[in-house]
Amino acid sequence: MTGEATPHAAPVEVAPEDQARAEFYALLGRLWYAAPDQVLLDAIANAPPLTAEGAHGALAEAWRQLQAAAAAADPAAVADEYDAVLVGVGKAEVTPYVSHYLVETGRERVLVALRDEMAELGLGRVGATHEPEDHFAALCEVMRHLVGEGAGDAAMQQQKNFFTRYMNRAYNPLTDQVTASSKTSFYKHVARFTKAFCDVEAASLDML
Amino acid sequence: MSNSRTRTSRRNFLLAVGAGGAATVAAIGAKTLPQAEKSDAKKEPQGSGYRVSEHIRNYYRTTLV
Repeated sequence: MTGEATPHAAPVEVAPEDQARAEFYALLGRLWYAAPDQVLLDAIANAPPLTAEGAHGALAEAWRQLQAAAAAADPAAVADEYDAVLVGVGKAEVTPYVSHYLVETGRERVLVALRDEMAELGLGRVGATHEPEDHFAALCEVMRHLVGEGAGDAAMQQQKNFFTRYMNRAYNPLTDQVTASSKTSFYKHVARFTKAFCDVEAASLDML
Repeated sequence: MSNSRTRTSRRNFLLAVGAGGAATVAAIGAKTLPQAEKSDAKKEPQGSGYRVSEHIRNYYRTTLV
């Protein structure tokens, strides 16, 4: 980069609701990738509430509880619980790698398919990254990227396909296990919010 | 098949559940969510972040399938 202005293609038009989805995916990707620091906890606690209509309050309620948990959380304790449950020594208590939830055996085949699909999207691991791509945080990042590609028919279909193939059957067992773990506190709220958000995603992508 | 009707109902649904307003999480995003360069010295290819902290990386070196 020389700092010289390179002519950009016109930015893809992203509707407010899709922008919001991209932001949610970014936040979830961050929270599943590593424990939040104090700055992020404060930002969550101080963010505006979600407003929902009538019976559709699950996401807003989960958000409210995540905010309350963030306001009360100690970053060192949250980091400990993240490490204890999602990283672990030897084997994680709850694996964030979704292929474990998608197939009983032949996890490599899921990884190969995912890798191929990401390569087709022009995405891939960076630099010294060695770990599998099926980390839930990575999938959130892919979805964030896809949402940013616009809301044309093909782009929406791509989002739907990716979500359906890799996230839809994985998010419930993943978030349920994190919620059920005796070692989690803050991450129970992350898990519940993730579940509520993915429920919304599943339902709204299903409308396409 | 009315594409615009599909879009409208999807948008209305997202608004109804509270997921349609961009303000909430955007308020968090800019300041605190990792930008492309932050966790890896190398540039990420176009927004495709796969970023993992060192302890996870080391852990997974030991368990690769």
